[in-house]
Amino acid sequence: MRANDLSFGGKESIDPISPNRFYEVNDIIYSRLVRQDDDGEPAPELAVSWTPNENATEWTLKLQPGVKFHDGSDFDAADVKFTLERIKDPALESPVASVLGMIDHVEVVDPLTAKIVLSSPHAGLPVLLLDYRVRMLPEGAGPTNDKLGIGTGPFKLESYDPEGRTVLVANKDYWEGAPKLDRIEFTAIPDSEARNQAMLAGQLDMSSVTRDQQPVYESNPNFVVQSFPAGDWYGIAFRTDTAPFTDPKVRKAIRVAVNRDEMIKLMVGEGNAAVTCDVPVKSSDPYHAEISCPQDIELAKKLLTEAGFPDGIDIEVNTADLEPGMVQFAEIYQQQVAKAGIRAKVKLAPSDGYWDDVWMKEPASVTSWSERPADQILNEAYRTGSSWNESYFSNPEFDSALDKARSSLDFEEAKKAYGDAQRLLFEVGGTFIPYLQNGSRVMTNKVTGIKPLAEDYIRWHLVDKAE
Amino acid sequence: MLRLIFRRVGSALFTLVFIAVVVFSCLELMPGDACTAFLGREGKGTALENCRERMRLNRPAPERFFEWAGGVLKGDLGTSMQRQKPITEIVGWRLRNTVVLAAAAAMIGIPIAIFLGFLCGLYRDRPFDLAVSATAIFAMTIPEFVSATILILVFSVTLGWTAGVVTAGYKAPILQLLASTVLPVATLSLILTAHILRMVRSSVIDVMGSDFVLMARLKGVPFRQIVLRHVLPNSLLPAISVIGLTVAWLLGGVVIVESVFNYPGLGRLAVDAVSDRDLPLVQAIALLLGAIYIITNLAADLLALFLNPRLRTHRA
Repeated sequence: MRANDLSFGGKESIDPISPNRFYEVNDIIYSRLVRQDDDGEPAPELAVSWTPNENATEWTLKLQPGVKFHDGSDFDAADVKFTLERIKDPALESPVASVLGMIDHVEVVDPLTAKIVLSSPHAGLPVLLLDYRVRMLPEGAGPTNDKLGIGTGPFKLESYDPEGRTVLVANKDYWEGAPKLDRIEFTAIPDSEARNQAMLAGQLDMSSVTRDQQPVYESNPNFVVQSFPAGDWYGIAFRTDTAPFTDPKVRKAIRVAVNRDEMIKLMVGEGNAAVTCDVPVKSSDPYHAEISCPQDIELAKKLLTEAGFPDGIDIEVNTADLEPGMVQFAEIYQQQVAKAGIRAKVKLAPSDGYWDDVWMKEPASVTSWSERPADQILNEAYRTGSSWNESYFSNPEFDSALDKARSSLDFEEAKKAYGDAQRLLFEVGGTFIPYLQNGSRVMTNKVTGIKPLAEDYIRWHLVDKAE
Repeated sequence: MLRLIFRRVGSALFTLVFIAVVVFSCLELMPGDACTAFLGREGKGTALENCRERMRLNRPAPERFFEWAGGVLKGDLGTSMQRQKPITEIVGWRLRNTVVLAAAAAMIGIPIAIFLGFLCGLYRDRPFDLAVSATAIFAMTIPEFVSATILILVFSVTLGWTAGVVTAGYKAPILQLLASTVLPVATLSLILTAHILRMVRSSVIDVMGSDFVLMARLKGVPFRQIVLRHVLPNSLLPAISVIGLTVAWLLGGVVIVESVFNYPGLGRLAVDAVSDRDLPLVQAIALLLGAIYIITNLAADLLALFLNPRLRTHRA
């Protein structure tokens, strides 16, 4: 089977926790301790069970017996210890360190039992272990040796060239059964038009295509287009420490004035995104909270009047032509909120230096994020003083809801606490997030075994291609 | 003669230095620096400081310029931020690939252009000339991404005769690379043939109408001999500079064609480097492309000088 990778300038790394991980390939050659089932709930992969102590500071993991790495060595608790403790290595500058920073150390109880000791209680550890980057490496693997690239996944890495062709071959000894495909080839095609041509010409079996290229495939019986919930988003970060956004009423007014369904239609097309009420948590996340936020012009006007702006308000939204649609996003926002007397001025900043000179500096700027699990995004981007807190949001109630969620062992209780935090974001938050974009892929109709779910849900050993 | 050559080489060198200064200053004038561009939104705090330290950006611009220029003179183009490799190594392979593509296109396109252009000039305004010239103008005017897309649609999507885009890596052996470059070569040949053909045609027409050809005819020299001995060499001289320009265009990385066909050459690397915000690489490529352009033009000039005795006595 032949697929393409997007090619990010050849910096892709087969180190799963590198900032530039080669995720298309890492997903297939490595395995996680815990993976999500089709509903997004934690399910056993290399760990068959996980049990916390009474205050969730220690987690005992039982491991799958008989799992072998591609080099023939056994997978055991020492590898778990190595992989998890490696994440915190400051020399690696791994973004995963902030996700699993609460892991203090790992104890090897016996070859098939590992005990994870946390520095602060965390009841949602299994959900954090779902992170698509937390993939098990053999003990001692690192950028300086050839153990990197050896995993326990259904395919082995045969050759690796992120700017050319990367070849994976079947791991016949895969513990869940031998894969159906013999090999998978990834070709780097950075240009979206070239990707499209390659797919149409039959040089690829699976590819990512842009929204405007999709209709060609939808009308062609030889291809299958899949759209699945994902969590990438654009938003506008309003600085809650800068007037007029210091007033929560203003913040809510400038968010409820938007017709989010209309915005989806104009930006990505109906069915290609899911409405969210200023909360960056996707619907398939186990901690997702249902909130409703229809356009409410009257409420917006009322809130503005109460805040002392009876004649409407003038705001300035900065954006840059950095990613497709980032300028359009601000312009559509401008048109939508005009009805509520919000006179938004769109200011186009140079794309060079945007993240340095404009974002988190100007009072309001368009921002772009990729998907993250609930606990991670809520803590990284909204907790008081966190380094990615682009709206300078500081709310003790919100912070304590997150603390409570992390320490409650009961899933429903944790879910309620995360839900409270999400509702707070809608009520008083400073970041406007209208929708979460769906992911999409195009395949030839010969490919089977891939459900319409995100990349890290795919069970690659079950994927097949008809001749 | 020698003085003329020296003068040409001297002005070429001067242009090159000028390009280096302009390229360096342009990147200096941009908001931010190589590190903020590279790190994007991660460019804060210690990560940014570490990067600036690593790239030695904390020094005044002139000092960095002379260090960079000095490195270039020694054949060291610096290190790519994104690819974490010496730029010479990255650029070397792409340059080879671009040369392969350019050579293939030139070897096919130039002889065809000269042959057709010559016939068109000789049989001016006859049906053959009209048909070929009209096609040439058409080939010249449609943008290459359109012709590329049409070629892919017809020959690869519909007929399935040949591969649509290049899937070979940048280190692929030349033969493997050539096997998948049928369509990019065709796209490029189409354009360059059209340009050269038009030039050859008009210069053949010029020469055919010149006094010495008239004289030869009056003298009764056989037509075949007039054409081969007198018209051909004289009409090819003006074509040399057009061929030089075309080759420079080919070697300068045909950005659009390489991108559309995913061809791993200099043009695609330039686009990728810009979109990756890999400023040291952008800087190196800009300088390299400038150098290629200058050298090719210089070579064409010197060749014309060598072939045409009249230019040598001309004192400008």
